[in-house]
Amino acid sequence: MAGNIRTVLGVAACKAARWGLRVMKRGGTTLPGRAAMAFDKNILETVSRGMEVIVVTGTNGKTTTCRMLEHAMTASGRDTLANKSGANLLPGVTAEFAANATAGGRPVKKYAVIECDEGALKQVVPLVHPKVIVVTNLFRDQLDRYGEVMHTLEQIRTGIRLVPESILCLNADCSLTSSLAQDVPNQVIYYGIDVPVGEQKNVEISDARYCVNCGTEYQYTFHTYAHLGGFVCPKCGYHRADPSVAVTSIDSMTARDSRVHMKINGISSAVTVGIPAVYNIYNAVAAVCAYTAAGFPPEEMIRSLADVHSSFGRMENFRLGQTNVQMILVKNPAGCNQALAYLKSLGEPYNAVFCLNDRTADGHDISWIWDADFEQVCKDPQLHHIYVWGDRAEDMQLRLKYADAPEDRITCVRTSEELLQKMQESQLPVFVLPNYTSMLELRRVLGGATGKQEFWKG
Amino acid sequence: MKGVSELKICHLYPEVLNLYGDRGNILCMTKRLQWRGIRAEVARVGIGDRASLADFDLFFIGGGQDFEQEVLLEDLKAGKGEEIRAAVRDGKTFLTICGGYQMMGHYYQTHDGVKCEFLGAADFYTVGGDKRMIGNYAFALGEDSGGSTVVGFENHSGRTYLGDGVKPLGKVIRGFGNNGEDGTEGIHDRNLFGSYSHGPILPKNPEFCDFLLETALCRKYGAFQLEPLQDGFEKAAHDSVLEKVENGTAGRDD
Repeated sequence: MAGNIRTVLGVAACKAARWGLRVMKRGGTTLPGRAAMAFDKNILETVSRGMEVIVVTGTNGKTTTCRMLEHAMTASGRDTLANKSGANLLPGVTAEFAANATAGGRPVKKYAVIECDEGALKQVVPLVHPKVIVVTNLFRDQLDRYGEVMHTLEQIRTGIRLVPESILCLNADCSLTSSLAQDVPNQVIYYGIDVPVGEQKNVEISDARYCVNCGTEYQYTFHTYAHLGGFVCPKCGYHRADPSVAVTSIDSMTARDSRVHMKINGISSAVTVGIPAVYNIYNAVAAVCAYTAAGFPPEEMIRSLADVHSSFGRMENFRLGQTNVQMILVKNPAGCNQALAYLKSLGEPYNAVFCLNDRTADGHDISWIWDADFEQVCKDPQLHHIYVWGDRAEDMQLRLKYADAPEDRITCVRTSEELLQKMQESQLPVFVLPNYTSMLELRRVLGGATGKQEFWKG
Repeated sequence: MKGVSELKICHLYPEVLNLYGDRGNILCMTKRLQWRGIRAEVARVGIGDRASLADFDLFFIGGGQDFEQEVLLEDLKAGKGEEIRAAVRDGKTFLTICGGYQMMGHYYQTHDGVKCEFLGAADFYTVGGDKRMIGNYAFALGEDSGGSTVVGFENHSGRTYLGDGVKPLGKVIRGFGNNGEDGTEGIHDRNLFGSYSHGPILPKNPEFCDFLLETALCRKYGAFQLEPLQDGFEKAAHDSVLEKVENGTAGRDD
């Protein structure tokens, strides 16, 4: 078959598969892409040709950073394609582009913001030729799927090497991420937070304690969270690069938003980030960096950050009867610790729900819950009752017992309907910390019951 | 003796060998001692730290990344290795997991033939494989390790082979174990216990945890019997994983 006929068939197959799944009310994200690739293995290259693409990868913050970028681009009148469903492997990305192409396989939109799995980067980027690649951070995550964090780092590096013309936006505060600048020919722009955040304690669990180059223990001039901060290797001299897009002061952090000052290529601006917590400040500064690297005016990004919405289970708010429910996706110890610290910082009584599944998209190994610091909330007098739910609910309640939560304050819930009822009956605000597939299921149930009203956004 | 008894626990290389929630084992041992009114003192002994290992009753060594594991080999050579071997000979209780377990053997030979000399505290060795052995698994402990059924999560490419006459920790019920070939899992030699089981291994297997604690307490105080605890949550977690393993080793695919 000629190339263009294969493309036409691939696009048609993708659209037909999508339509079929929607008719059956199934949100399948892999099948349409596989259908397209069956006709044309590299169809992604054709259906993205000529587009300006920003790719976001890294352990935490991919989805939110993409959402921030897309929000700013759309608000500024740029018609932008994004893989919002979180399908971030090659078939999912392919489906998103193919479904948005003409029958002949030409792209309709000019811009794209694509979240890409770290392992899939080397398959995706040589086909979409990104203008900008953002790497958010590297933490231990779903280790049974990726092996070790050093292996993940090498996979990202392999991907970057395939597209030397792409501009790299790297987190200067993450010693693993910023080491990607070594041995790649790409232009690099660093972003970061120039000031300490919260209590400056030396964390017990660090995902990067030793120099990635020489194995010597890092020293820090300041910490932001986890292993992020002002690292310097006393032996070989590898150190945090001075970021050209940086948060220079954190003026306030509340449950509603964060107010900061950012320096963008030498110019200081006040920035409000419309979703709370320090990791969203990182996502915001990553988004600003990528936005300017792509050649767009930073004012557009700054304006839209103030009213950016939470994305798909990340700090998403629901009003369930009389109960305020906030859902915070947690997938690994670093993200979980940040979410737990956020709960503790609120200083008001609440109930908590911890949901744990071990399906393929979650990683079958759930041992990371023992690396997360649940002690900080289990000992918090403001936490009244805990519900656990999911395929591995029994593991979660055991973890909480050993974090000093009294057994009679823990209820193991069997079904999502029962969990919904418990949340409805709650007299206190409820904070739900699910991992990925439990979030998807819970979100369906919550969305159905509430019509998805957001109480903090109005 | 109750009320005055105490175990001194040494967490070796916690800053390097800290993968897959293995620190949960320290938490589990500490809590289960404290709930019975037994003092637990945990010392973290890392690279470059000088500590007299002979002062401890129980040692824990977890698993780590290959990259980070390299930096501690020099520290072992600088003296700790000999102290660890002496403590093993002396009948001190060791729980070693995955990389920490491999480290107690003679050597690790990588897939492309490079040999890395380890401690040789017990008679076994490990060979790197190209296939990673990953999944929930279960094994039956030998009678001399308490005889209970252990559930955990294994994730290793190294294949471990025990020397003649060296006893495994248990027999694989379902999963890979030491090498995916001979049905053995881990090692039990003197009071050295080695296993590939993350999970972490102890919280979901309280009988094994108590067996280790009793072994260390008996070594220190002569006969010692731990009071039973309410293990409802522990058993629920154990049984749910055992059921999962019996129905296939991974979580659901959707």
